[in-house]
Amino acid sequence: MARLQKVFFTCALALLAVYSAHGHGQTMGAASGVVVDYFAPPAIDHGLLVRFSRAPDSAEAQMRSAIRLGNSALDRVGIGGAHYVAGKLIVKFRAGASSASKASALSVASASGSTQPPYANFDVMTIDPGIDAEAAAQALSARPDVEYAQPAYRVHTEFKPNDTFYSKQWNLPDIDMERAWDIQPAAGSNIVVAVLDTGVAYTNVTMKYHASAFRVDATGQVTTDPTATLYPALGDLTLPFVAATELGPSSRFVSPHDFIWDTNLPIDLDGHGTHVSGTIGQLTNNGIGTAGVAFNVKIMPVKVIDSDWDDIFGAPNFGTDDVVARGVRYAADNGAKVINMSIGRTGPAAPAIEDAIKYAVGKGAFVAIAAGNDYEDGNPTEAIADIASRVQGAVAVGAVDQSHARAYYSSTGSYVELAAPGGSFRGFPSEGGILQQTLDLELVETFTSPPSGFVAPRFDALAYFFFIGTSQATPHVSGVAAMLMQQGITDPGTVEAALEKFATDRGAVGRDNEFGFGEINARNTLRGLGLAK
Amino acid sequence: MKTLVALVAALAVAAPLAAQTRRPTEPSVSIRGFFVASEEQFAAKTTFAGVLGSSLGSFVGGGAQVVFRGGVYVEVSGSRFQKSGQRGFFSNGQTFSLGIPLTASLMPIEASVGYRFRLQKHRTIIPYVAAGVGQYHYKETSTGSAPGEDVDATHLGYLANTGVEFRVHPLVGLSIDAQYTHIPGIFGLGGISKDAGESDLGGYAARFKVIVGR
Repeated sequence: MARLQKVFFTCALALLAVYSAHGHGQTMGAASGVVVDYFAPPAIDHGLLVRFSRAPDSAEAQMRSAIRLGNSALDRVGIGGAHYVAGKLIVKFRAGASSASKASALSVASASGSTQPPYANFDVMTIDPGIDAEAAAQALSARPDVEYAQPAYRVHTEFKPNDTFYSKQWNLPDIDMERAWDIQPAAGSNIVVAVLDTGVAYTNVTMKYHASAFRVDATGQVTTDPTATLYPALGDLTLPFVAATELGPSSRFVSPHDFIWDTNLPIDLDGHGTHVSGTIGQLTNNGIGTAGVAFNVKIMPVKVIDSDWDDIFGAPNFGTDDVVARGVRYAADNGAKVINMSIGRTGPAAPAIEDAIKYAVGKGAFVAIAAGNDYEDGNPTEAIADIASRVQGAVAVGAVDQSHARAYYSSTGSYVELAAPGGSFRGFPSEGGILQQTLDLELVETFTSPPSGFVAPRFDALAYFFFIGTSQATPHVSGVAAMLMQQGITDPGTVEAALEKFATDRGAVGRDNEFGFGEINARNTLRGLGLAK
Repeated sequence: MKTLVALVAALAVAAPLAAQTRRPTEPSVSIRGFFVASEEQFAAKTTFAGVLGSSLGSFVGGGAQVVFRGGVYVEVSGSRFQKSGQRGFFSNGQTFSLGIPLTASLMPIEASVGYRFRLQKHRTIIPYVAAGVGQYHYKETSTGSAPGEDVDATHLGYLANTGVEFRVHPLVGLSIDAQYTHIPGIFGLGGISKDAGESDLGGYAARFKVIVGR
């Protein structure tokens, strides 16, 4: 009877959704990101696939980037090429700043309002999108009542995926993971690892979205030029999402939150966050698919990066400094002991995120941050990774390839503290990347096809892909940190000290700017030392 | 250390007097056996406390002495210390345990030459002082170790001791003494001892002996 009621309820919901979808289909800007039902058909597993679409220098990767930026009329390019979202400023007033001085600051910035959102220790000011946010921030920063002011710089993922089972996971033996599992077969069972990313395929749900048209020019840039290639509007879409089968049961996921859509449903419309989560904690020794480092940890999906489809579907927020900072605070406040940030951004410093990372470390959370993939793009300082060099308990992670050399893309600098396998396709076969289960990118990245092949994406099919990047290196460190915490090392600063102490020295003897203290060694870190050896 | 030197000097001064008070009934050479138990304060305090939970260690063993009428004696002894703890690491002056079981053992075989002082007024109280060398066999085993990862090392060390023997029966004596040992070459080359800057496996021990023989 109960089952019949459930089926009836589901059908009723589906009918209601179809009716609603039709109604909204007549109007531009129809509601997007609406849950139709917490149900989706079983996942389709497409096995191991090879796809180079996200390699750093591929046309598809450039187009993905263009869509993210192009779908925001508010996107601006600031100092050093850093992108930010126009129309808002992140401002932290000094303690004791009066309401009169805040009002005065609003006036200086020509702001129409200011609010302090949840999980933030700063205000977000609304300003005219026509105002140069960097100049306005600079003016505000000069005031004695302001600790810092900055534009809402946009962040991005730090992976360079290629796309195609344990024998192919060279990265895990590379950090002596097999012998580390001998030491700790439970692999971090009581630890919560927050994955601040594009979301995670952690639940079955059916969603309704609206996709508007957009144009792409000959160089792959999204444009408003009417002569450019039109990618037609897909209208209202009802899309089933599936949980990644290899990430385990729903009981494994705790306190999910989506800061891009302002919901508690941080589903992944990209595949990056799911892949990263897999390296941290893919189910292991179950005879299926691939393995993960700390395969018994709890995972907290926190969505702070907007993907192409989030942007096409009109998500209300972008992955900017304020969103990331709130995500870090949210994770710390909700029990995360390890925070994985496979996130990057270059440009000016990120004080809001630095404040949040210090807050998280102060609450006992260890933070691992991708060091960046920009070595061949002028090797600019990564603003978020750079924070790690000033916070004991946060580390910036560079990438190594299969030969233990620095991966060609891995950014270098004094802020790099550790290295881990991030993989490379340059000089290596297509299996030189980090393999994990994620969304079937062939069915997700339909926007990388010509307009004739541009169809609605599917998020109900899974496949195994090789990705490369410091995004892929970082979850190795997060996984080992979680295992170390499970062994009783709970202070984030001590976790960092242990990871650095037991790292395998690579490159120049001692700490260097390519590998930091070296490539992590899971077994040595978890095993520690005896009295004499 | 100053106290030890002063005690040794005082006892040495007493030697000529004692030497003149040999009793004609004493055998020219006597062989005695003994059981020894000791509590040692290891020099590598941080290392032992961090891994084994205490920088104190208990040894038990036995040995033999050959005592010559003049007061000189030669002693050979063997003892053993063993304790279990956890592997860990040293950071910022603190040792952190990782919960991986570890067992350490130290087996000294020591040979020393000493002198027993006869006190004119207290013939049942015999102060003594000795110095010697030892061969120290150290083993360290941990759960899950791969071949070559455990420690099995032997090194030469040095010792000096001084104490008092109480004759409680013509054939039984009890003694307490303080012994200093210096054992280089095992600690300080790796492990937590290296990080803590501790290179001496020796230390100061309070020893208690039950001696059988004249």
